[in-house]
Amino acid sequence: MNAPLFKFGLFGDETSLVVAFVIGIAFGFFLERAGFGSARKLSAQFYLTDMAVFKVMFTAIVTAMIGLFYLSWAGFVDLSLVYLTPTFLWPQILGGLLLGFGFVIGGYCPGTSVVAVSTGRIDALIYGGGLLAGIFVFGEAYPAIEGFVNSSDMGQLTIPQLFHLPYGLVLFAVVLMALGGFVGATAVEKILARKASES
Amino acid sequence: MSEQKNRRFGLNRTLAIVALVLGLLAIFGDPYQGHVVQLDTKELATIVEGEVDHVTVQELADWIIQGSADYRLIDLRDETAFAEYHIPTAEHVPIGQLTDYPLQRNERIVLYSGGGIHSAQAWMLLQANRYRGSYMLLGGLQSWKDEVLFPALPEDATPQETAEFERTRFVAEFFGGSPRSGVVDAGEQVAVPLPKVEMSAQPVVPKRKKKAKEGC
Repeated sequence: MNAPLFKFGLFGDETSLVVAFVIGIAFGFFLERAGFGSARKLSAQFYLTDMAVFKVMFTAIVTAMIGLFYLSWAGFVDLSLVYLTPTFLWPQILGGLLLGFGFVIGGYCPGTSVVAVSTGRIDALIYGGGLLAGIFVFGEAYPAIEGFVNSSDMGQLTIPQLFHLPYGLVLFAVVLMALGGFVGATAVEKILARKASES
Repeated sequence: MSEQKNRRFGLNRTLAIVALVLGLLAIFGDPYQGHVVQLDTKELATIVEGEVDHVTVQELADWIIQGSADYRLIDLRDETAFAEYHIPTAEHVPIGQLTDYPLQRNERIVLYSGGGIHSAQAWMLLQANRYRGSYMLLGGLQSWKDEVLFPALPEDATPQETAEFERTRFVAEFFGGSPRSGVVDAGEQVAVPLPKVEMSAQPVVPKRKKKAKEGC
């Protein structure tokens, strides 16, 4: 059987919702198990005292990247059927900054806040309220900002396409970045832990 | 405790080495499968046999009336014919340019030509290029004219046929056509002028919907 399973018609719309539910529950479960249901753990990332968020996310990226690459190379996945989010450069930079500020201030990102709500954390409930309010404001303001939201449309762009590099080379570079990042992150953690114990 | 710590470090190192080796090997590969295709003729035959390779003109008319944006309608005829009349929302793509035209493999693509031969050939081309969501408009533009724009109600119509014709009348008027009732020979040539289409310089591309996907 080839993937993407839904696009090849292995199951229909209704079943896909069940599959999405199961994947979503599993995603939330592993976020919680990694400690990401705690705003303390998440915001420690920004003070560089605990780099778990960086390590987990980069590990996920590298695992998925290598897995997809080899599965499609072997013919099990048709990458041309996998949906790529189109690039809208400036709106996405601004959106990323907004998300980053919200992450630092509130201690959660959207996904982890839902995980924390499900374990009954009160700060996450308040965060969730802010999230819904933000969605409402965006929806109401949409006619005014529609032009900006759809500006600098670069289509479904990938790094290999943009820089005319072979896919495998980009993959290797990202793996090197990740491994270097892990070593560097652990070193930073150790230095800050020593400083904390000294003071 | 220290032994446990050592073992965990061992696992991390092992995984790092595995990632590094797989990354190195990947330099020599390309995950996309290029232009040479492998065709499962049995699978294609099954699609054709199951008659899931086409959409009817009534289905298409419904999508257009509902303002549905989840399909791309491709007109394969020549420029003059396209300028003279085309089905609303259609994009003009000569069959020779079809494989270079920016279509996504996960889109629903509906092909039509005057009759049915060109669209069938184009459908085969797209299927071979792994555009799984490609369909032919059954009967082509001729069926669109006969059944949507100028539907005919035979004189000896049953009450059920007459009831259905009322719905058809609404659809025909929506597209600027006119229904014909009391026609003796339903196969007669249509002499009514085709509705005018306003030509825009740019092909009408359905507005791309933004999908939000969260990473974290």
